[in-house]
Amino acid sequence: MAEEVPVRLEGLTKRFGGTTALDGVSLSIGAGEVFGYLGPNGAGKTTTIRLLMGMLRPTAGRAQVFGLDGWDRAVEVHRLVGYVPGEPVLYDRLTGHQHVRYFSRLRGRDDAARAAALAGRLELDLARPAKALSRGNRQKLAVVLALMSEPRLLILDEPTSGLDPLVQQVFQTLLREHTGRGGTVLFSSHVLGEVQRVADRIGVVRRGRLIAVERLQELSAKSLHRVRATFTDDVSAADFGGIAGVRDLAVNDHTLTCSAPQTSLDALLKRVSSRSVDDFECAEAELEETFLTYYGTGADHAG
Amino acid sequence: MLANVFLKTLHDQRRSLPAWIIAVALLVATYVALWPSIKGQPSMNEFLAQMPEAFRSLFATSGADMSTPVGYIQIELMSFMAPIVVLIYTIGAGSGAVAGEEDRHTMEMLLANPVGRTAVVLEKFAAMVVGSALIAVFTGASLVLEGALADMSLPAGNVAAAMVHLCLLGLVFGSLALALSAWTGRTGISKGVPAAAAIVGYIVNGLAPLVDWLKPSQKISPFYQYIGHDPLRAGLSWGSIGIAAATVAVLVGAAVVGFRRRDVGA
Repeated sequence: MAEEVPVRLEGLTKRFGGTTALDGVSLSIGAGEVFGYLGPNGAGKTTTIRLLMGMLRPTAGRAQVFGLDGWDRAVEVHRLVGYVPGEPVLYDRLTGHQHVRYFSRLRGRDDAARAAALAGRLELDLARPAKALSRGNRQKLAVVLALMSEPRLLILDEPTSGLDPLVQQVFQTLLREHTGRGGTVLFSSHVLGEVQRVADRIGVVRRGRLIAVERLQELSAKSLHRVRATFTDDVSAADFGGIAGVRDLAVNDHTLTCSAPQTSLDALLKRVSSRSVDDFECAEAELEETFLTYYGTGADHAG
Repeated sequence: MLANVFLKTLHDQRRSLPAWIIAVALLVATYVALWPSIKGQPSMNEFLAQMPEAFRSLFATSGADMSTPVGYIQIELMSFMAPIVVLIYTIGAGSGAVAGEEDRHTMEMLLANPVGRTAVVLEKFAAMVVGSALIAVFTGASLVLEGALADMSLPAGNVAAAMVHLCLLGLVFGSLALALSAWTGRTGISKGVPAAAAIVGYIVNGLAPLVDWLKPSQKISPFYQYIGHDPLRAGLSWGSIGIAAATVAVLVGAAVVGFRRRDVGA
């Protein structure tokens, strides 16, 4: 009977005055899943997260965490959630240890040992006051505070934006340990590369609307390959026309260039090999590029 | 010291609150030190008598006799300086409680813990009560103890009563600041409006005896509840305490409602 979906958004809408920051977003995230929430800055990622955390009241629709409404039952929700805000601001004069003590006592727990272990792995000095910490170290402290109570759901708003690559690796390991225990993660970012290593599914939000939700594996299958073939004889673009999925086809002198998803490679290669080939290159594009091809440049087609 | 929002709020004041207390003790010491040179001067009362009546009414709480310790403290400390000190503290605490944390953007991290908004408002209010009570207690103790050293004996019971009223005066305007800070999340408005209201309340109470059209509004001035019954001579006024406490309760209730219904830090 108890609904145990970690995150469920239903027609979630938020307007500030006349502007619509979020427009009818519906989404569920299952237990043990890492969900990457992607979109450019100002698309509505932070608004979604702040609605889930009960900081904002929805204009319409619902945001639920483990079946509990984020606004009406914020205290119960917060007991189950570890949260890293987009710009974590801490108490300037409190040290890391004092933050750990305060926030764990507010949860009715004592997480000092776990916090110390986490800080050790992230190479964060808990003895320093927050105002003496760099942006990256403040980010680490926010991560420690979010993880130390072993919450069932982590809500992270651009958590790695201030972290260097080595620390990001530690962070990804921490997330895997969290999901290994059955924990769930909602992770926002404006860069695909940041979430592709950890996310199971990706949702794309643009101008307040959720325009796509995809399994990362499926997105990889769509991933574009850069093909470049040089022929011994003249060829024309028409010779390669009509292959489904091929994009940006161009023929220059003896050389063909195009982008093709995995599924079109077979047909394309057969056409290529029916001619005399001088040189051939095929390289998989960055996922980022694939992504931009499908959802980029202001396309609202899926909205 | 960091077990809950209440103790954390006091922890944040662990330097400023002692500074306030030292400041009031020094302020009292200044007045006490001047007492020996004033008590033998009947001309002080003549000087007061020569002041325009409006001035006397505003700054000297009419009817006080400068040549007695009670009258002297009434005029010099209780009618003006003591309320200013307490009001600066409580209005600052009230506006800082919610709007201050939002201005510094720490409210989001705090509220991400399993702490309800009602609890945040009430615990911060409780810290303000403790802080203003401490200031009042130390002001009263300084008056009685430092006064005794300078042969300026004050009735301890009535001093205590005056401090209760002083503390309540602070809490009325501090709660107004808290309510505004909870509704708006803005420090400017939640400091400025109570400060302006305090000035208006002060002037209404001071000038009402002289200005016919102000007379009906004198009794709604929190300053009238504070000093209108002359607590240094008359002791506690339960009626005034009831009115002040009810005002505080309504304003704190409004603060809770206001904070619960609004978006935070948007």
